[in-house]
Amino acid sequence: MKLTLMIWRQECCKKDGKMEKYFLDNVEEEMSFLEMLDVLNERLILEGKDPIAFDHDCREGICGACSLVINGVPHGHHKGTTTCQLHMRKFKDGDTIYVEPFRNKAFPVIKDLVVDRTAYDRIMNSGGFVSINTGNPKDANSLPISKINADLAMDAAACIGCGACASSCPNGSAMLFVAAKVSQFALLPQGQPERTKRALAMVRTMDEEGFGNCTNMYECEAACPKNISVRFIARLNREYIRARLSEEKKI
Amino acid sequence: MSYLKSSILSKWVMAVTGIVLVGFLIGHTVGNMQLFIGSDTFNTYAAFLQGLGELLWVVRITLIVCVLLHIFTSIKLKLDNYAARPIKYQYKSYLKAKLTSRNMIWTGIMILAFVVYHLLHFTVGTAHPDYYNHYESVVNEKSAVAIDTQGEQIPPTFKTITQDGKTYVIQEEVKSAKTRHNTYKMVVTSFRNPIISICYIIGVILLAFHLTHAIQSAFQTLGLNHPRYFGYITAGSNLLSILIAVCLISIPVSILTGIVGGAI
Repeated sequence: MKLTLMIWRQECCKKDGKMEKYFLDNVEEEMSFLEMLDVLNERLILEGKDPIAFDHDCREGICGACSLVINGVPHGHHKGTTTCQLHMRKFKDGDTIYVEPFRNKAFPVIKDLVVDRTAYDRIMNSGGFVSINTGNPKDANSLPISKINADLAMDAAACIGCGACASSCPNGSAMLFVAAKVSQFALLPQGQPERTKRALAMVRTMDEEGFGNCTNMYECEAACPKNISVRFIARLNREYIRARLSEEKKI
Repeated sequence: MSYLKSSILSKWVMAVTGIVLVGFLIGHTVGNMQLFIGSDTFNTYAAFLQGLGELLWVVRITLIVCVLLHIFTSIKLKLDNYAARPIKYQYKSYLKAKLTSRNMIWTGIMILAFVVYHLLHFTVGTAHPDYYNHYESVVNEKSAVAIDTQGEQIPPTFKTITQDGKTYVIQEEVKSAKTRHNTYKMVVTSFRNPIISICYIIGVILLAFHLTHAIQSAFQTLGLNHPRYFGYITAGSNLLSILIAVCLISIPVSILTGIVGGAI
C-alpha cells in the first residue's frame, strides 16, 4: 500500500509549524495507524532526520493517550475507535492522509503532533472525584443503586479523557468530557455529597481553561472513540442549573 | 451581565430568549395567515394590534430585550469560540455538525438585517412609503330608520324588513366614520414588487435554516434530551421550521400569482 502523508511538523516550544509531505510505500493493511507512523519514524531516524513526535501508550484503545486529527477527524473517520485501534485497511492504496495535532487554545502543541492536555487534568482536579475517607469498607449491599443508573454511569465513565470531543468541536468546547465526568458521579450514590460543588467547580474550570462554548452541533458525539452520547451534555446542563439554583451559601 | 462568565448560563440565555422569539414568530405567522381570509379581517386584526396601547409596548419591549440579549450573548460566545481555536485545522471534515448548525451566527446576522428592513418596511413605513401609505375609511357608527312602504313596490336593491304583515324599508345613514391603515393593501402592493418578494422569501428561508437547528438545540440546552422523545423534538423542530417558512412564503407567492389581492 502506497500512501502520501501530510503531517504537521512543529519544533518544540515554537509557536508555529507547517505541513510536510512524506511518501510511504511499504504500508501493510494489518498495521495500526501508529505502527504506520513507527515505520515512517524508523526510516526518518535511519535517514538522520528528526522523527515525528506523537502521543501513545497502551495501544489497545483504553488509555486515552493517542490523539491525532486524521483527515479532519480526531482518531480518524472510523467510528468508536482510537487512533491506535485504527487500522490501515480503512485506507486505500494511493490515499493522501492529513495528520494534524488536536487544535485548541487549551491544548498547546508541545512538539509535532503532541499536545499538552493537562487542561483536562485540571478540570478533573477541580471536582472529578469522590472524597472517601479511609476506614472499614461499607457493605456493598447496603448501598442500593438502580441497574439503569449503574448502566448509565458506566456509559459516562467509558470516557478516557483523550480530548477528541474538544478537538472535533467546531467551537473547541470540552462539554462532552465534563458532562461525562459530572454525570458518572451524579448518577451514583457515592457522588451525591459533592454533586452540587462538583458541577459548579468543573464547569468553572472548563470555562477558565479557555475552551469554547457548546452550541449543540453534536460533532463531539460522532468523534468520541467511546461513543459517549450528547445526552450527558443535556444532563450536565440540568445539573449545572440545579447546582446554581440550590447551592447552599452563607449570605 | 455576570451570566456571561458561565458558558452554560449563556447557553440558557440563548435558549430562553430564543424560545420567546419563536413563540412570537408562531403568533405572527398565524396572525398573518388572516390575509387569506380577506381585506376586512386582516385590517381589523392590524387595527386591533395597534389598538392594544400599553400592552403592545409590553410585548414590544419584551421582544426587544430578548433580541438584544440573544444577539449580545451570541456575539460574545462566538468570539470566545474563535479564541478557543487560534490555529485552524488545515483539513477539516464534519461528521455530524451540519451547514445550519455551523453557520448560526451568519444566518442570525442576515436575519437581523432582514428584520430591520422588515420593520422599516411594514411597521415604521419608511422603507417604502409609497406602499405603506394606504388608508381606508371604515364606518364607525350607523343609524338606521325603518320606513313603512305602505304597500308600494320596492326595488330589490333596497333592504327591507317585514313585521306584523307590513314591509318597511331600511334607510341607513353613516353617522361617523374613521380612517384606519389599509394594511392589506400595503402588503399586497408591496409584494407585487418582485424584488421585495424575493428579498422576503430569502429572509424567510434563512430564518427556517436558523430554526431547524435552534428549536431542537434549545431543548438540549434546557436539559431535555432523552432517547424516548428527543427524536420527536428533532422532527418537530424541522417540521415547525418548514411549516413557518411555507406559511410565510405563501403570502408573497399568492400575491404575485394573483390569488390574493386581485381586486386591488
